[in-house]
Amino acid sequence: MREHEEEFSHKGARIAAIGLGDKNYGHVFREEAGITFPLLIDEERIAYRVAELGVANVFHVLRADNMAARKRAWKGGHRQHVGKLGNWIGMLDHDKNPFQLGGSFVFSPDNRDLYAHVSKTFGDNASISELLAAIPG
Amino acid sequence: MESLSARLAGVSLPDSEGNQVRLGSIWAEGPAVMVFLRHYG
Repeated sequence: MREHEEEFSHKGARIAAIGLGDKNYGHVFREEAGITFPLLIDEERIAYRVAELGVANVFHVLRADNMAARKRAWKGGHRQHVGKLGNWIGMLDHDKNPFQLGGSFVFSPDNRDLYAHVSKTFGDNASISELLAAIPG
Repeated sequence: MESLSARLAGVSLPDSEGNQVRLGSIWAEGPAVMVFLRHYG
C-alpha cells in the first residue's frame, strides 16, 4: 500500500490503516514498514467489530494460498513483528487475536461506501487497481 | 441500512503517536481508503 500512496494521492484520496496491538507496537511497525499515512490502533477491536471483519483459524495457516502468500511476503521483505516473547503472549490476549482478518474499504465524504473488500483468509487482500478504480474522478 | 462508513464515522481511535482520531474525519474532506490490517507484521 505504501508503494502506491502517491497514486492514491493523485486521485485526491487519503489512506489510513487500522491495526491491532498497542501504541508501542504500532509505532515500531510504522517506522519499520516506512508508513507515512496515519496508522490507528484498535486494541479492543472496536472498529473491526463494527466492520464485521472475520476471524480465521489455525487451519487457514495450512491452506496452499496462504502458504504461497507467506512466501511472497517473505520474498518482499515483510516479517512478522513477534520477535519478543511478550508480543506472542500479548497477541494471545482476548482482544489481540492473531487470526483476526482484515479488509479494505473506500469511503466518500457523504459516508457512502464506494468499495469493500472483506478478507476471507490471511493472504486475501484487495487489489490496488480495484481500490484506485473505486475512487471517483 | 446505515452504511459502514456512517457506522465507523463516530469511532475514535488513537494513532501510533497517541493522538485521538475520529475515523469520520479521515474521509470528511475527500475519499479515503481505510485498510484494516490483519494484525501488525
